[in-house]
Order: sequence, then C-alpha cells, then structure tokens
Amino acid sequence: MTSRRLSRFLFASPWVLSFVIFWAFPLLYSLWMGFTDYRLLSRSGPEWVGFDNYVALFSDSDFLNSLKNTFIFVIGTIPVTTVIALALALLVNREFKGRGIFRSAYFLPWVTSMVVVALIFTNLFQRGGYIALLAQMVGLDVPTHGFLYDSSTALYSIMAMDVWMAVGYYMLIFLAGLKAIPDELYEAAEISGASSLRQFFTITLPLLRPVALFILVINSIKSFQVFVEIFVMTKGKFDTSTVVYFIYETGLQTQFKFGYASAAAYVLFVIIGLFSLLQFTVIRRRQPLW
Amino acid sequence: MKRVLILAIVVLLAGATVSAETTLEWWQFWTDPAVKPVIDSIVTEFESAHPDINVNVTDLTWSNGHEKIVIGFASGRGPDVVELGSDWIAQFAASGQIADLTDDLGADTAGFQGWDMATYEGAIYARPWILGTRVVFLNRDHLTLAGFDTTWLPVSFAQFYDAIHRIDSAGRSQGIYGWGSNTAEKHRLYKKFLPFFWSYGAQIFTDDREYCVLSSLMAVEALKQYKKLHDLYGYVDSQRGIEDAFLNGNVGVILSGDWLLKRIELEDRDINLASTLFPGPQYPGRSFKGGEFLAISEMSDHREEALTFIEFVTSPENQLRFCKANRSANPSSLTAQQDAYFQDNIHLQTFIKQIQFAKHPPVDPDWVYIEDEIEQAVEDALFGDGLPATALLKAQQQISEIMEQ
Repeated sequence: MTSRRLSRFLFASPWVLSFVIFWAFPLLYSLWMGFTDYRLLSRSGPEWVGFDNYVALFSDSDFLNSLKNTFIFVIGTIPVTTVIALALALLVNREFKGRGIFRSAYFLPWVTSMVVVALIFTNLFQRGGYIALLAQMVGLDVPTHGFLYDSSTALYSIMAMDVWMAVGYYMLIFLAGLKAIPDELYEAAEISGASSLRQFFTITLPLLRPVALFILVINSIKSFQVFVEIFVMTKGKFDTSTVVYFIYETGLQTQFKFGYASAAAYVLFVIIGLFSLLQFTVIRRRQPLW
Repeated sequence: MKRVLILAIVVLLAGATVSAETTLEWWQFWTDPAVKPVIDSIVTEFESAHPDINVNVTDLTWSNGHEKIVIGFASGRGPDVVELGSDWIAQFAASGQIADLTDDLGADTAGFQGWDMATYEGAIYARPWILGTRVVFLNRDHLTLAGFDTTWLPVSFAQFYDAIHRIDSAGRSQGIYGWGSNTAEKHRLYKKFLPFFWSYGAQIFTDDREYCVLSSLMAVEALKQYKKLHDLYGYVDSQRGIEDAFLNGNVGVILSGDWLLKRIELEDRDINLASTLFPGPQYPGRSFKGGEFLAISEMSDHREEALTFIEFVTSPENQLRFCKANRSANPSSLTAQQDAYFQDNIHLQTFIKQIQFAKHPPVDPDWVYIEDEIEQAVEDALFGDGLPATALLKAQQQISEIMEQ
C-alpha cells in the first residue's frame, strides 16, 4: 500500500470504525437475532428459530394493531403536513412586512424538544384543556375524559400535534425550493398570459418535484418511526401503539424478547424501504404528476 | 538472587491478601435529595463497622432501572446486591439471576413482614426492606358537604359507594367529583382494580394454580362496581393528575399510597384529610401491597459480605431512618413499626393496619404478561365497548394460554 493510499485509509478509518462498531455490527447482529429466540432473561443463550418470529408477528394481534396504527399515522400525517407546508411556503415567499417573524414562528416548534411539546399538548388535550374548550365552543363533541383518554380520538390528536410540529420544517425546505425557481420563468408565463393558478401548476409544482420527493421520503421515514410522542402522551394506550413502541415494549420494557423485537424492527425496515422505493418510482416518473 | 526475588513476590502477595478489601456493588433506586443522604450515611456507617468491605453505590431510576438490572445480569456485570420491586423477584429468580437465600434468611423471618412476596416456589430470594400499600383517602370537607358528620368513615362497600355518590351529587356543580379514577396507565390501573377484585372474594388462579378464574362471578361484580364509580363519579386522569385534583379539592375520595402524605407535607398542602382502610363488603377489604427488596446476584463472589450488608441496611434502626427521610409508612421490620413515629401519626397507622389486610399478585415469572391481560380487561370495560364479563373472560382465555405456554 502506497503512503498516499495508507494516509487516505487512516483519515477515513475513524468514521469507518465508528460506522462498523455502532451501525453495521448492531444492524447485522439484530438481523441475526431476529432469527433466534433470544430473551435477555433467559437462562440459555439464543437458539436459531428460523422464520418463527416473523410468522408469529403476523399472527400477533398487538403487532398487527401497532402496524395498522403506524400506517394510519403515516397516511394521515404526510399529505396534510406536505400540503400545509407548501401552502405556508407560498405565503411566506411573498413580500410583506414581518414575514421573517412568520417564518421563525412556523419553524419554532421544530426546534423545540418533542418531549416538551408532547407534555404541553397532553395538557391542551385533556378535559378542561384549551383545545377541549375550543372544540366545545365551536360545537364539537369532546370525549368525556379528554382527547387522549379515548380510543376514537387519541391517535388523531397525536397526529394533529405532529403535523403542527413538523410543518414549519418542511415549509422551510419548500421555501428553499421556491427560491431556486428562476424568476424568468414566471416573467415569461406572465407575458404569455398565464394565470397565477396556471403558473403554479405548470412552473412551481413541477420544479418543486425533487424537493417534494425529499420531503415525502424524509417525512415517511420519520413518521414510520414515531415513538416519542406515543411514549410521552399515551404509553401506547387507547389504541395508539405503533410499531416502534411495540418494539420498545417487547424488547426493552417488560418482556425483554430481543429476538422477537429484532424481527419486528426488520419488518418495519422492509416496509420503510418499500415505501421509499414506491415514492421514488412514482415521483421520478418523467410524466407530469399534476 | 532468584530466591530473593521469589521471596519478595511471595511477601508482596501475602501482604496484598491480608490487606485485600472486598468491594460490593449495590444498585438502588433512591435518588430523592431527602433520602439519598440517608442511603449514603448508612453505607458509610457500614463501611466503618466493616473496614474490609467497601460499598460502591449505583443509583438507578424508576424509568429505566429495570432495564439496567436485566442488562447488567445478562452481560455478567450485574451488582452484588440489588434493590428489586416485588413484581420483579419471580422473573429474576426463575431466570437464575438472583441467589436462593433460604438457608441464610429462612431461620430469621419472624421480625419482618413481606416474605410472601420474596418467596418463589418455596425458596426465599430476597429480604424485605420497605413495603407499600394503598389506603382510602377522603377529603373531610367534602364529606361534611355531603352531610356526613365530622368523624364518620366508611366501613363497608355500601357506605363507601354512598359517600362517593353523595359527595359527587353535592359537589359536581362546584367542580367536585366523587371518585378519582385512573386512566389506562400501564402498571397502575390494575393496582387500583385488584383491591375491588380481591375484596369481592375473586381470585386470579385456583388455589392449586392449575386454572385461571379471572372471570368468576365475584370478579365480574368487582369490575361492574369499579366501572360504575368510573362512569358516574370518576375524575379520570393519571395517578399524578388524580392526586393533584384531590389535593386541589376537586376530588372527594381516592385510593393512594404513602407518597401522598409526603406530598402533603413537602408541598405544605392545606387539606382536611381523612384516611381509612379499603372497606370491602365486610370491613376490612383487601388492598394491594408491594415493596422494595434486597437480593443478591447469583454471580456474586461476595455472598457473605452481601448478606451482612443487606442485614445492616434492613435493620430496624436503618429502616426507621429511611422511613423518616422518605416519609414511608411501611417498614418491613415489625420492631420499626412500633416506633412512636408511626404510632403517633393517625395516617401512618392506617397504612400499618392496611398492610395486614393487603394482598400481592401471584409471585410468577410470567406476571408481566398476566398483568397486561388484566389491565387490558379493565381498560376495555372502562374505556372501550367491552362488558365487564366479556372483557374478563377474554383476559382469562389469554392468561390460560400464557399458563399453557
């Protein structure tokens, strides 16, 4: 090995080492554990059980329910977050007095700790909380014991909080995308007599496609991994358990079934991979989407 | 020269052996600023009394202490002495992580309560330290508002339900609820239901542990009554939320532990407090009990020293010091219970009496799963569409499957 190649290798090795120790090894080790019956409290060591954990997962009502809730969360939050973020980006992209304040205000929830936000919203959603009072004022039915203590509203309440928190971040990314669109295109469209709506659908949206792809993929991965808000606000009760919460409960809380939890983690890994692939495939089509 | 060298090594090794000190690793949960100094001084005094033993204390938290203990044992780097909650003993005993102490402690059980919770399959695995139970707390002002005289306390379920009903009727317009009802909080909801369940005479298993009988008629009656309190008079919140509401005068009756007395004292709460035993159809009923225990790791190389240490920590004098610092009401030591600190306080006396009429869930390594099913049944009945009978029957079937596995 030449000294040049050696020095390259040495410079890269700290990162490679940390990647191997903290990422690659745990990733492969947990893949292997998913095929064993490993329980932390077991007297015997892990034994190979093949696909038994995966088969058991798909007949485990708790896991299936967590999977259902995760999909509801993902499908419910991503379109709403994306549309609101785009709308806000279009609004704050215009010239008006104090728009910097609006941009900061929308972005502020994102830089606040999720635990803090979740605790505040737990109070807002409870009986007598501001959201419950507001809902009553506009004539909505409020669950007797508050939004988080009712299976029909708990998950949707958490989803609403999540949208509120995330929308500012994605707004900022859309805003960066909007700034990158050359003004000449809009000037040409105006000269051709295109209306604002037509400009939006023929210029803005198509050119925001890479940004939208990034947002959809990032938001999907984040939403599939939803955990902190569930942990803080409901502990998975009232039909709010998600896959990551299920993994935490199974692997680290009371049961310490590492093998089973690892299998669940890999099911989620595959789902996220497939979902991202689907998004890439659909959005990267050459034909216009809108 | 060679001989001199060997001699020097032998002398050095011998010296090292003579002055060798044992270091005990103790994992414990008490980090409260009011309690930690007492823990530290108990350790310091132990080390002074046993100069050849050092104690290295590791503080755990309630949020992740259980995980750390499990991981510590699994990795072979666990402690010599560990504080365990009563629910965990069977799990660690069955997996061979904690030592069977029957021969060491079995002959000296008379002065302590709580051995039933430390005994798994006939063997003792830990020494009881600080116990805990739940009693009924009432707001005396609310009782007066509801028309009860100033010394009245319920001694049967009929009177208990009537008091809750009357407080709620008299106070709801002022924002006062009759009963503090727990939401579906993991590890908490079932502890509130089981006193009703046991007091109605229901059991989780048959006496021979062959069958689960969770959906007996008595159990269904218990859940019906519990649901009725929840639906009609319940201020539903987390345990902390219920206690806040009670201390703020928004709830008339709650079931709670000795930590509530600590809160009242430390937060200087102005509440006209009454406490009484959990009533039952006949007085008294059966409340829930648990506790903190000290166990020794099966892998410990210092078993004798560890035994000496846990005997020191759980001595009546040290339990008393601990209870005074933590305002705990239930030392496991019967001698400590006789101290004027407990005898002169009417509320602490309620706890001392209640623990004699309290039960603990079965000491079973699968209790975490069983507990989950019971909690789910209560949750279905209170917050879902499930009828008490069907919810309990479903849980019974699930528990039977767990037992078969």
